[in-house]
Amino acid sequence: MIAEISDLHFSYGHIKALDGISLSLAEGAIGLLGPNGAGKSTLLRILLGFLVPQRGRGRVLGFDIRLEQPRIRRHVGYMPEDDCLIPGMDAVTFTAHFGELSGMPRQEAMKRAHDVLFYVGLGESRYRLLETYSAGMKQRLKLAQAIVHDPRLLFLDEPTSNLDPHGRKEILELIQDISSKKDIQVLISSHILSDIESVCSEVVILNKGRLAAHGKLSELRELSYRLYEIRIKGEGEGFVSRIRALGCRVEETEDKFLRVYVPAEMDIREIFRAAEEEKCQVRHFVRSQTSLEDLFARAVGVD
Amino acid sequence: MTIREKGYAHWDGQLRERRFPWTPITSLGIRLAYKKKYFRFISFGSLVPAVVFLVGIYISERIEDFQYMLRGNKQPLEVNPAYFKTYLCSDFLLFMMVMILVVSGAGLISDDLKHNSLQLYFARPLRKKDYLLGKANVIVFFLLLLTLIPGLLFIIFKLLFAGNFQFLASYPWLPLSVIGYSLFVTAFFCAYTLLFSSLSKNRRYVSILIFTVYLFSDILFGFFYENYKNPAFALISLKANLQQVGSWFFRLKPAYAVPWHWSLLILLAFGIAAALVLVKKVRGVEVVK
Repeated sequence: MIAEISDLHFSYGHIKALDGISLSLAEGAIGLLGPNGAGKSTLLRILLGFLVPQRGRGRVLGFDIRLEQPRIRRHVGYMPEDDCLIPGMDAVTFTAHFGELSGMPRQEAMKRAHDVLFYVGLGESRYRLLETYSAGMKQRLKLAQAIVHDPRLLFLDEPTSNLDPHGRKEILELIQDISSKKDIQVLISSHILSDIESVCSEVVILNKGRLAAHGKLSELRELSYRLYEIRIKGEGEGFVSRIRALGCRVEETEDKFLRVYVPAEMDIREIFRAAEEEKCQVRHFVRSQTSLEDLFARAVGVD
Repeated sequence: MTIREKGYAHWDGQLRERRFPWTPITSLGIRLAYKKKYFRFISFGSLVPAVVFLVGIYISERIEDFQYMLRGNKQPLEVNPAYFKTYLCSDFLLFMMVMILVVSGAGLISDDLKHNSLQLYFARPLRKKDYLLGKANVIVFFLLLLTLIPGLLFIIFKLLFAGNFQFLASYPWLPLSVIGYSLFVTAFFCAYTLLFSSLSKNRRYVSILIFTVYLFSDILFGFFYENYKNPAFALISLKANLQQVGSWFFRLKPAYAVPWHWSLLILLAFGIAAALVLVKKVRGVEVVK
């Protein structure tokens, strides 16, 4: 278990950012999803000890989030969303500096800085001034400083923001490599659902400061609902109203297909009965793979 | 070299808890300051008075050898507490200290604010006080090089040139005065610089603030003093306040007829206000309410 939190509350003045979040995060790569203002960054900041929750308890890597913040930070790597650098420095000095601050001896930090810079693909430009780095290079640099002290847990806040598709792919490959082969647990907060889908096995979805969904991606897809693609012949409006009344969510696609989200407990034959009663012919009925986008949309209640 | 060509390897060392977690911040700040050409020039120039005063101490002990240079001047060159005060509170030295603050201190916090690096610092096992101490100690290092080190060297060289301990026997409290005043002026300038550095993300504005506030307070004092002949206006000048407190440290009569403790109170109040602002301004995340 990398983190356990219970009944976490945090407000910025009268605005509730987190409202009674309880979670247990297992090992592996975990995606933290939610619309703007859902409380993702606040949750990350509380887990790192930047903010102290007004109510609730929690442990990260077994350390108390209220009492043992320095210990948490020693074993956690953090890659913030914003560009961060210290002007007048090269990447080696920058990375080694943060290794030292994490508790590495100076020589070791310097040696390790070279290694991680090669790992993230900045080996050739490690002596260049940071001010001259491109957006993609800065992103890699942030990853390098986050892993320089070989953390047990890595917090990545929007790791692929400001990157072109190629840069995005490379950063995702790195994250995947770190999380799957290097025994480092990763918690990724992102708006880009496909990134989470490609890297994470587990997701946490927050909405308006509350927990909207949490679990293994595969299990969530199975348990919450089933998605079917249906095409009918005949008057569709009555049919759609009937299955909506049965608890299904229905979307019409441009090519006249219906995407029907069927609740887990509902008998699929109900759909056919509804079609028969509405005098429609079901011409196409195929189980479809739900995407994270579907899951997200349902969890936060948006189309 | 492409990504992962070299591969990731775990580090087999042990992360240790530092007794002074701020040391990497200080050492980096000092190294970055020396990278600047201007700074090397200014720091070299600011050591000139120390060399001149050291030569003065040598001459004071070998006064007979230098009679021909004195050209009938009967006033002997005497090394006493006033000599030390003259060095440590001289307009030139204080000005050079401000110049060092402008070049090496202005960006200490403002650069971190501008480039969002505070969150990187606080994602490490660092407390706010460690961060501030690390930054302040950069200034402490440069200012003590100009105050404490020359002050103590003057005493040591005075004893060496004299070949006896007469000087120390006459003024046994002088080393403490040198240490006390050096630490006081350094602490004040730390608070002064870090306060301005935390107020803006633009290092240039901070540099201008550091320079202007010091200079303008003195110009204002000069203007009012010349017009109203009231020594109480010395309290608006940072330089005059430092010199007033310096007089007390060296057991001398203050230059202006204002109680020295008023100056001390003003400087302390400035320091406390600076500390409060710093605690408020320096944090790992921008909290938007």
